[in-house]
Amino acid sequence: MHRKPIALWIAAGAGYAFLYIPLVIVILYSFNNSRLNAEWVGFTLEWYDKLFHNDDMLAAAGNSLMIALTASLVSTVLGTMAGVAMYRYKLRLLPLLVLTPIAIPEILMGVSLLIFFVLVNFTLGLVSVTLAHIAFCIGFVAIVVRARLAGMDESLTEAARDCGATPWDAFRYVTLPLIMPGVIAGALMAFTLSIDDFVITFFTAGAGTVTLPLQIYSMIKIAVTPEVNAVSSLLMLLTLALIIIASRLSPSLVGAPSEGP
Amino acid sequence: MKRFVLLLASLAFAVSASAAKDEFHLYNWNNYLAPETVKLFEDQCKCTVVQTYYSDNEELLAKVAAGAKGYDMYVPTSNAVEALIKGGRLKPLDKSALPNLKNIDPRYLNTSFDPGNKYSVPYAMSTTIIGYNDQKIKELGLPTDTWAVIFDPKYLEKVKGRVTVLDSANELFAAALKYLGYSVNDVDPKHWNEAAALIKKAKPYWAAFNASSYIKELTVGNIWLVHGYSNDIFQANLDAQAAGRPFKILQGMPKEGAVLAVDNMVIAKDAPRPDLALKFMNFMLDGKNSAEGVTNLIGSGNPNMDAVKYIKPEILNNPAIFPDKAVAAKLEQLQDLTGPQRRLRNKLWTEIKAGR
Amino acid sequence: MTRKSGKLGKWLVSGPPLLYLVVFFAIPTLIMVLASFRSPGDFGGLAPLVDESGKLDLNVDSYVRFFTESVYAQVFLKSVWYALLTTLFCLALGYPLASLVARSSRKHRNLLLLLVILPFWSNFLIRIYAWMIILGPQAALARGVNGVLAYFGHEPVALLFSSFAVLVCLVYVHLPFMVLPLYANLEKHDQALLDAAQDLGAGAWQRFWRITFPLSLPGVYAGAALVFIPALGIFAIPDILGGPDDSLIGNVIKQQFLETRDWPFGSVLSIVLTVAAVVIAGLAAWVGRRNLGTPSSARNARA
Repeated sequence: MHRKPIALWIAAGAGYAFLYIPLVIVILYSFNNSRLNAEWVGFTLEWYDKLFHNDDMLAAAGNSLMIALTASLVSTVLGTMAGVAMYRYKLRLLPLLVLTPIAIPEILMGVSLLIFFVLVNFTLGLVSVTLAHIAFCIGFVAIVVRARLAGMDESLTEAARDCGATPWDAFRYVTLPLIMPGVIAGALMAFTLSIDDFVITFFTAGAGTVTLPLQIYSMIKIAVTPEVNAVSSLLMLLTLALIIIASRLSPSLVGAPSEGP
Repeated sequence: MKRFVLLLASLAFAVSASAAKDEFHLYNWNNYLAPETVKLFEDQCKCTVVQTYYSDNEELLAKVAAGAKGYDMYVPTSNAVEALIKGGRLKPLDKSALPNLKNIDPRYLNTSFDPGNKYSVPYAMSTTIIGYNDQKIKELGLPTDTWAVIFDPKYLEKVKGRVTVLDSANELFAAALKYLGYSVNDVDPKHWNEAAALIKKAKPYWAAFNASSYIKELTVGNIWLVHGYSNDIFQANLDAQAAGRPFKILQGMPKEGAVLAVDNMVIAKDAPRPDLALKFMNFMLDGKNSAEGVTNLIGSGNPNMDAVKYIKPEILNNPAIFPDKAVAAKLEQLQDLTGPQRRLRNKLWTEIKAGR
Repeated sequence: MTRKSGKLGKWLVSGPPLLYLVVFFAIPTLIMVLASFRSPGDFGGLAPLVDESGKLDLNVDSYVRFFTESVYAQVFLKSVWYALLTTLFCLALGYPLASLVARSSRKHRNLLLLLVILPFWSNFLIRIYAWMIILGPQAALARGVNGVLAYFGHEPVALLFSSFAVLVCLVYVHLPFMVLPLYANLEKHDQALLDAAQDLGAGAWQRFWRITFPLSLPGVYAGAALVFIPALGIFAIPDILGGPDDSLIGNVIKQQFLETRDWPFGSVLSIVLTVAAVVIAGLAAWVGRRNLGTPSSARNARA
């Protein structure tokens, strides 16, 4: 954990630069005095002002956040269970059901879910979107958790059981802390997938449901104005703040015993 | 966690329950209705307008075909209206509730896909034409009134890599067919093959097939010539002027003719509030609302004769938006294709795009 | 394995996700699999399952079409190629990132990890638009590249509306899905192993290649799967900044559901894509099964 070679710093630095140069442009252009996201004209706060008066956009952002939080929570729980199950037991059906939603084209999944909801007469709305998001996020979490478990030393869990711990206690006090970085990574992935999903959301949203991607993609033919940059930047900051607060409140949740077995 | 689910469930209930209340669910193109006009309608009808958006007719059709419910009104283009009527998805109109229908220019009524306007009334229109950077095109000495500038390598050489065409099989084939002297609705496979060959010859000179970001690139000056929608090109010019560019973005109406797209208001068969939909229809058939709500907002064409006096002069005098009789005669609306025709066209389109 | 786990534990753990996925994924998907055997509706969607004469209208026309019109296979292969390249570049770029985060102190680790994923909480479209600005012909990058090319007498190239732009954005959009699984795996590597190797005289590269990389293979496979598989089906990126030749299978599938309104054929293409993806992932997992970690293999690796 101590000395990291210079080469690593340079390579990782290049990676971070690759990630952040476009982001800098995104944030910078939220102050751009031009309707188009195409080149820099001048500085203005006009777009933030417009955003705060744009009830539709703010409501859409709120919906997206709510859906993403719920979907990532549920899919992390279910995905962790699936990842553990796939690692521990010889299963046939679950690995297939977990892997396929990742492979299947979104448009097929969206159309099929819409037909399904209509068939069972389920009202389309925020709930239908959330249910759809959970379905495609579970797989991502499961795969990460399983990869984390792979190569893990089972002797610790066995030792706990030998000392008389119940399976649930062994899981909660031994396995779970050890896989926590995988669970966190999976949760982050699920959140990212959900908050930016367009195709599946498009088909499963109800007549009055708008999420941020739906709102934004409908602008694609006219102009994706810097208002979108503004709401994106704010949403990012808000999410970051939420996570920092959450980690302060429950440090054990986010950190993990790193000096591992 | 449980609380979240309960909250969401109750929200869903609230949404579905309130559909019966005074809410009018409009599924429309984005930026196709001025917010002030929406407010005006809401005040008049004492109801709330809930708008959701699509950016392509096909998205609307796919969603409706899969069974999506809850919308009162859609605003599809004519060929999509045709598909919806044939699919039995629309509610017939109660003409007695639409006194303002008399304002519409008879040229746009009683169409082949909806005789007698049983299901639809016109909303706004646009054409698919040529857009160009006037400075660059003048420098290069290219014509702007013919599709040749998009398809003929002798012109394309000069703008190689600076041209985009729409990423739509229907639109591009229509332009190619017009250039070859056929109708946009020609379904002869031989003519289609001719059009495909023409497109393939021109393709190496094009920068991209693009329907979403081409306007931006035109305004910035990266792209100099586009095959695009008149509304978009109009808007691009406004943006270019606002950004202080040394060039203007102008519209070129090809002499061979072009596609006219008329968007129409229709009522969904299972609309929760068809009465509000009819009210809205009549409201938008009023000249002033139509002019201020749509045309003055985005520079679209307007089939409403009563709207003329409310339209901004620079839009009214633009021959690409309000073409004169001679040009108007060459404009054609796209018709919907049958299943086998669509499949053939998709095969040709895929071959074009795969570089075969 | 532990003595008492047995059947109940298995169902308790695998049951809920299984049930959820069966209801909200398997059943809807089966509807569309059935659709691949039906005829397209005249005006979109699907033709009725039972036609006028009361017969069940099922056929394999759409499958036949896929296997006879070779252009679709051609587009499919191109997509596989792009997805492969994307995966390799994501691995090259993502491994150092994951490594840095995993090897940082506890204090910094979470922050560094968050920093990796933060950009992806902004909207996809505007990130792509940001790349259009970066790659635009008038921006610094393009001017620089073309300046160098001009020096060697080469024609200027377009960075935007090209395969290059598509690949850059494919890598950009999928990078976190490589970094996160890799990190989750690298994080648990025991530094003591590496210290011991160093004490025994192994150089930095040897330590990486002989110890770290093999131990990280489950993470590599997971990351590769989570990049390769979604990248196969992508359509938005070519739509927005692809060149005229950059149509991928995702675009063709989208066209079937939208422009052509041929849902059965769209289903066929989707099924072929999904099956291919799952098969490739399965193959890779099978090939690397020794490294994917059963408890015994981990003990062997340590020995």
